[in-house]
Amino acid sequence: MEELILELKEQIIKVLNLEEMTPEDIDTEAPLFGEDGLGLDSIDTLELIMLIEKNYGIKLASPAEGKTIFKSVATLADYVSKNRKK
Amino acid sequence: MRERIVITGEGIVSAIGNDKAATLTSLREGKSGIGVMQHLQSCHHELPVGEVKLSNTEMKALLGIAASTEISRNTLLGMLAVDQALREGGIQHASGKRILLIAGTTVGGMDITECHFDEMVATGKANPCLLKHDCGSCTGDIATHFGIFCEHTTISTACSSAANALLLGAELLKAGEADIVVAGGMESLTRFHLNGFNSLMILDQEPCRPFDAERAGLNLGEGAAFVVMERETDALERGAAIHAWLSGYGNACDAFHQTASSKNGEGAYLAMKEALETAHLTPLDIDYINAHGTGTPNNDLSEGTALKRIFGERMPPVSSTKGFTGHTTSASGSIETVICILAMQHRFLPANLRWANQIPGGITPTLGENGKTLRHVLCNAFGFGGNDTALILSSRPVDDGEASSSSEDRQAIVAAKVEISSEEELAEIRHYVKPMEARRMGRIMRSALLSSLKVMEQVGISCPDAIITATSLGCLENSEQLLMQLREEGEVMLKPTCFMQSTHNTIGSAIAIHTGCHGYNVTYTQGAQSLEWALRDARRLIRSGKARSVLVGMHDETTPRFRSMMQQLDAEDLHPIHSIAMILTCGE
Repeated sequence: MEELILELKEQIIKVLNLEEMTPEDIDTEAPLFGEDGLGLDSIDTLELIMLIEKNYGIKLASPAEGKTIFKSVATLADYVSKNRKK
Repeated sequence: MRERIVITGEGIVSAIGNDKAATLTSLREGKSGIGVMQHLQSCHHELPVGEVKLSNTEMKALLGIAASTEISRNTLLGMLAVDQALREGGIQHASGKRILLIAGTTVGGMDITECHFDEMVATGKANPCLLKHDCGSCTGDIATHFGIFCEHTTISTACSSAANALLLGAELLKAGEADIVVAGGMESLTRFHLNGFNSLMILDQEPCRPFDAERAGLNLGEGAAFVVMERETDALERGAAIHAWLSGYGNACDAFHQTASSKNGEGAYLAMKEALETAHLTPLDIDYINAHGTGTPNNDLSEGTALKRIFGERMPPVSSTKGFTGHTTSASGSIETVICILAMQHRFLPANLRWANQIPGGITPTLGENGKTLRHVLCNAFGFGGNDTALILSSRPVDDGEASSSSEDRQAIVAAKVEISSEEELAEIRHYVKPMEARRMGRIMRSALLSSLKVMEQVGISCPDAIITATSLGCLENSEQLLMQLREEGEVMLKPTCFMQSTHNTIGSAIAIHTGCHGYNVTYTQGAQSLEWALRDARRLIRSGKARSVLVGMHDETTPRFRSMMQQLDAEDLHPIHSIAMILTCGE
């Protein structure tokens, strides 16, 4: 799981262009969205949907489904580990 | 008395008809034009679209253009609608009048570019179609085809483009800068924006259901509509039949997000409020609202909230006609204007098709009604980036009984100017913008924002009254990246960040979002003349007292591939990046 978490953080930094961040800067348990977390928005949700489709073969039907999955890196890693097709 | 602006001719082509008469029949019979794709070459047959039921060859035949001539579907649609409008308005010759063409579009010649893109990349050889890629050249080709226009320009504010073309037309007529204006918009379907909208996950796989609690997105449509506009006195003098008055209009910016509308619909609210004020009307005077109503969860909720803020408990009948036409994006403002004129002339309320479930606390749209007298109607058109515009059309003149607001003529001066012409300078953006905000910005966005913030700093303002942007080619880097993705990966999910920053107005709206500027916000794209058009607009705003400070910018970029192709075509060379930002003030 630790490996997957690190991998996801690296991918998030890359696709969302979080230029000045390193995986250590992202708190695994902290919210990704909203002001008290990383501050991501609806376009980032779409980028994350693309990310898990491309890298793990997981298809989401709507951004609404992503709400609980993308709560934090921890929830995302949990979902990916259970649903990945590649 | 104020100078009143009237409409004396209309042309329309959309999924529900190739002219006004067919459009009227479809509207009255509740016949939607949304269905299975016939003309667009895309694999996304699961997505219903509102296509015009004519092939390019059929359109060329109607226009007397040789079948072998390569011309974009977008331009053809525009020509068809302009042709109808001119005929109906009885304008076949210039006869000494200054006739101006204003078109709103965003895709420009993309439908041709995307057909030749693969072959150009594979061979490295430029196809002359690239000279017709930009929006301004589409308008130019329409103007040339008719040969009666003394000037032409193009507005590109995404889905409010055509509405802003009408607004500009009215202002130019009032300022005496033209005698007749033919204004409207056109947009053809392209694989580029169908896949782009698909990657934003806002396309419904069923025919759309605006304002329904179960709505699941929009269907893209295509089409064009143009209207002949003139001063009432001129129309009466030449004995033209007046079909409607354009009695009010408002343009405001939501300044919230590149693709989403704010929760309280601030931009929409401000645009509608301004439209009522310019028309000298109150909410009680409005008998029908043709809403933007795309069918996306976000738009319909936000627009409903804005409508409630204006109309309160006394909401006039509202409908979105996108269930008929699909969302015709840049053309929607003029297509829906013509629908409003038809509704007033034939005394009916157009239906909001497929509505069944009430949004809790939301508005209840009309399902259509006949025998209704409509005095004044409101027509909304909102674009990405929060470029929101509202028009008010009337079946009778508004008797304001007042002399025109005779603000003394103020002289506009250029208070400061900043130019950026190299990529190295862009690193300075770090001093102005946080990394979280800058992370998505491509070169043109960085250059535009940096030059704008620097020029505002020089004159000591943090938020201008209005933002007017000019660009000849827009966000080329992102557009090329998306075309490359389509070429290499096929019609998969395109990168959403690139798509949302591929429209021309993304530049002006990003500046509005950063500065919190809710004021007038438009984007001109007319090749090398874009900046002059933007400056003309800025001077008019200042002269009339509508703004005291206007941020004007011309921003363009090129890519190595595009640059080499344009060199092969002997086109004027472009800088990799170039921004000019100016602040115009009234000198106080």
